[in-house]
Amino acid sequence: MLKFIVRRVFWTIPVLLVVIFLTFMMMRQIGGNPFRQSERAVPEAVQRNLEEKFHVNDPWYLQYAHYVKGVFTFDLGPSLVVRGRDVNDIVRTHFPKSIELGVYAFLFALVIGVPLGMIAALRHNTWVDYSAMFFSNVFHAVPSFLVATLLIYFVALKAGWFPTSGWTTWEHKILPSVALGFGPMALFARLVRGTMLETLQQDYVRTARAKGLRYRRVVGLHVLRNSLIPVVTAAGPLLGFIITGSFVIELIFNIPGIGQSYIDSVSNRDFSVVMGLTVLLSGIVIVANLVVDILYGILDPRTRDARG
Amino acid sequence: MRSKTFWLLVAMLVASLALVAAGCGGDDEGDDAAGTEATTGEEGGSEAAEQVITVNWGTEPPSLDPGLASDTTSANILLNIMDPLVILDEDLNPVPNAAETVETSEDGLTVTFTLRDDLKWTNGDPVTAQDFEYSWKRTVSPELGADYAYQFYGIVGAQDYNSCDAKKDDCAALADKMAVKAVDDKTLEVKLTTPQPWFVQQAAHHSFLAVHRQTVEKFGDKWTEAANIVTNGAFKLERWEHSSAIDIVKWDEWRDADRVKLTRVNGRMIEDGTTAVQAFEAGEVDVLKAGLPPDEIPRLKDTPEYEQYTGLGTYYYGVNVKNITDVKQRRAMALAIPRQSIIDNVAQADQLPASGFTPQGMPGFDAINPDSPFLPAEGDMEQAKQLMDEVASPKTEITLYINDAPGHREIAVAIQAAWKELGITSEIKQQEFQQYLEFLGPPPNKDVDVYRLGWIGDFVDAINFLELWTCESGNNSTNYCNKEYDAVIEEARKTEDNDARYELYAEAEEILFGEDGDMPVLPIYFYTYTGLERESVKDTFEVNLLDQVDLTKVVVTE
Amino acid sequence: MTITDAREALTAEPGASPASGAPIRQSNLWRDAWRRYVRNKAAVVAGTVFVVVLLYCLIAPIASPHDPDAVNFALSSQTPSLEHPFGTDKFGRDLFTRTALGGRVSILIGFGATIAILFIGVVYGAISGFVGGRIDNGLMRFLDALYGLPYLPFAIITLAIIGRTNTWTMMIALSIASWFTTARIVRGQVLTLKENDYVRAAKAVGARWYRILGRHLLPNTLGVLIIAIFLELPGVILGEAFLSFIGLGISPPDPSWGAMAQEGRTVFRSHPTAIIVPSIAIATLVLCANFVADGLRDALDPRTRES
Repeated sequence: MLKFIVRRVFWTIPVLLVVIFLTFMMMRQIGGNPFRQSERAVPEAVQRNLEEKFHVNDPWYLQYAHYVKGVFTFDLGPSLVVRGRDVNDIVRTHFPKSIELGVYAFLFALVIGVPLGMIAALRHNTWVDYSAMFFSNVFHAVPSFLVATLLIYFVALKAGWFPTSGWTTWEHKILPSVALGFGPMALFARLVRGTMLETLQQDYVRTARAKGLRYRRVVGLHVLRNSLIPVVTAAGPLLGFIITGSFVIELIFNIPGIGQSYIDSVSNRDFSVVMGLTVLLSGIVIVANLVVDILYGILDPRTRDARG
Repeated sequence: MRSKTFWLLVAMLVASLALVAAGCGGDDEGDDAAGTEATTGEEGGSEAAEQVITVNWGTEPPSLDPGLASDTTSANILLNIMDPLVILDEDLNPVPNAAETVETSEDGLTVTFTLRDDLKWTNGDPVTAQDFEYSWKRTVSPELGADYAYQFYGIVGAQDYNSCDAKKDDCAALADKMAVKAVDDKTLEVKLTTPQPWFVQQAAHHSFLAVHRQTVEKFGDKWTEAANIVTNGAFKLERWEHSSAIDIVKWDEWRDADRVKLTRVNGRMIEDGTTAVQAFEAGEVDVLKAGLPPDEIPRLKDTPEYEQYTGLGTYYYGVNVKNITDVKQRRAMALAIPRQSIIDNVAQADQLPASGFTPQGMPGFDAINPDSPFLPAEGDMEQAKQLMDEVASPKTEITLYINDAPGHREIAVAIQAAWKELGITSEIKQQEFQQYLEFLGPPPNKDVDVYRLGWIGDFVDAINFLELWTCESGNNSTNYCNKEYDAVIEEARKTEDNDARYELYAEAEEILFGEDGDMPVLPIYFYTYTGLERESVKDTFEVNLLDQVDLTKVVVTE
Repeated sequence: MTITDAREALTAEPGASPASGAPIRQSNLWRDAWRRYVRNKAAVVAGTVFVVVLLYCLIAPIASPHDPDAVNFALSSQTPSLEHPFGTDKFGRDLFTRTALGGRVSILIGFGATIAILFIGVVYGAISGFVGGRIDNGLMRFLDALYGLPYLPFAIITLAIIGRTNTWTMMIALSIASWFTTARIVRGQVLTLKENDYVRAAKAVGARWYRILGRHLLPNTLGVLIIAIFLELPGVILGEAFLSFIGLGISPPDPSWGAMAQEGRTVFRSHPTAIIVPSIAIATLVLCANFVADGLRDALDPRTRES
């Protein structure tokens, strides 16, 4: 088991290097001038000076080496567009908010979705089941920007229960998390219900019930554990969904997370910020996948050796 | 029934739902900043007890360094936390502010600013002429790479210093040669390359502000952070949480603090227009400064909070004269554009249809404006078609480049439909801003036939606008080059007398848009600014032509 | 994300599919599957709706008397009526026609990207699984690295690189960072089937690799692939909607559902139809795809039947 973990962790390093390389290469293809931000042209002399200052004209391998060194010393370089701010600064102010949003959305999805799925499974083929599934399917399919728009209009504006935008007090954090979490919640509900139904049909469960073991024990131990497996499995790719969904939610709710910075930096050709954020995002996905794999290994020993 | 576990689960579910809905009832209008009680007061009411407002500036200010700031949000905040030498009055004439007197020599080549005695920095140091000399030279310095360094090119030696290549030239020597000198602690002497009647007015621009030398040297890039910054104006920067909030408070020791009523201005940075409107309607923000999304305007126009100001800017389509070579086609295309209809239905903020390039509000507008026969407010499809028929070999498939901000798309679609009637099929190519700017060069990418841009005035003189169309202008992406036009502009640069200069400007406009106009540009409308302001501040929150607001004049009424 | 359902379901008991490996007598398998599919009412309904939507998108623009691009401000922002079943947008353009057109684009991008994903995934996975050994190992390690690429940022960067946004570039951008799971699954399938007796027999007899691939491996994977299409589709459609919403969608005046939703958001207060219609359209398609996928999975793989 330990060996498995160590091996997996060890492999994240070359993975990260590959990601950095790919991102770096892609960035170089974009072109554009980070120093020109308005419709006014940049005077030649100024352009020249800025390019020098930010090493934009060094040969690519030098820039790459310089960058990799930066990543491993946690120095992601200065922003090319927002003078006076480092990518580290930007990360420090924006990232935590996005992560918070993602975590709350995930928690919401978990706390509402899993019980919902369980109830639906336990009340299989009743109106409870049907309505729960209808509800969750619809919310899975409706794009989050519509959900967000409706939530803001009815809950924040009309009812006045929550603020319409921003991310400062806890009241601000509820609507965006809910809006982002609806989709994953629906997914969890479906998955849990599905797996629970399956497991409940399994012979060993029926046997246990027939033998009269207390219902709660049966449900608690076997069924629950098995039902959580798909949740864990889905958690990995779900992270991707949450990251991407957060871009739109952050836009609508004016949350100063990385979504907005990311889009703005690509727009402005702020190469160092784009690189930094992409590498960081990838890092998170890699770590999340790592955690998922390890959890999966714990929950389902069969998979431990099944990879590669 | 296997009841227990089932009800346990239900309880969990209900509990979670309750947690989520926990904000019910407890929360009032978002309380993250000390906002004003949003009362709809009557006009001319008495002063409210709490003189605090929350303004949405719309974006995070990219920089509060006067040398580096190049956008209106930064400009607005800077002009309120710093003390400019001169400010502009309602008629946009410069009046001395931090400077006690401003004198221009007989020949117009030397301008002398004499500072007041009571100027201070927030850390107690006196503000001196040396501060200004240091700051202006710093902005022009090649290391800083300031966008607005060109504003100083009218000063002797500035352009040379700015173009200095550290590897080849001695930049320090060039810095010395730049003719900005602190003759003594209170006197700043500036020598200009040619007489520039607008120079004093230009000095009201935020790039001419002074910075505190020791602070800049001590903190480097980070000197503008709230913890480090040292300012000298009516307000102080108290809190700056990047991309989230920026709060300024009254500085009680400012020389004129007695007349400042506001104690605090909280700033939000809501970029999305719709979100901003919602925040206003929920009572979270008192002023929306950053413009309303056109689609919301019809709904908001008749509300008492709606506000509209004339701006100093022109929205235009530039034509690549190397691709669309026949001037008759360009004129026809200009004639076909239904300006008023676009304003009424798309832009929706009562903009003014453009009849020339220099916008309304510019001093001398009445003399300068050519009232071009090719730029009628409603468009003239009949005449356009006639003119189009006269074109020998028209270009019927054209590309129309725009950047992808929302308003531009809609306008392009409307114009695309109009040109269709002339038999011109336009392909709208939408690019995001950086790509777009690259494409435009100059010189513009060969594929560009028509492109969209807007030009906002930096200072209040038409030269600011008309010099765009000279051969060498870095903002001329039309390939248009007319020596005659250049000559007129050159002449204007040297002409001190306002009226004489306006006549020259009128000549320039004629060359572009008159009967025999070359039409390299199709102006569409002159900008207005829209916003929402609570009635309690509406009367005193005034935005001038340059989109600036003087917060020292704002009062919150009951 | 729901493709993990497939992964989990299909790799849980390797190689147990009754007909795996054997050269397939196509008709029986598919007919069986069809019968099972049809028994699932939800899947049938979803499938029908899906087809209806497709037909709507194909036919409505042709049959419609309205020009979807005609700007006529007199008619702007109308509520639904007989003349305009979905109302008009702010330019006065008929929303019924535009939604259909937008559907064409969104569905085209959806299918296009999905097929691209499948294609890349299949090629990568098949090669890796088939060749095996160290190359397989290396390819999988590389795939792990690619897993770390979140798709939206890379879609954004790709679009920035290409510089223009049209149907084709959107397809590329959306598929570039989304094919990894498919590759994994295909590889898993191939690995499983490789060990199968029929395949080994074929190899022993000296059958060429392409024959093995063609007659044994791929037809068995086909079921998984069809399911995969309907599982990836929602993700791609939502991805297109998100990209358009952020402003990186296709150029005007061509509509896509995401672009229409973005345009509609700013008039929500006065004219909510403009954002609701395209969003419902997206939701409908996504829902149908999900149910169809479930139905297909049950039909093609009886082990996961629910009672």
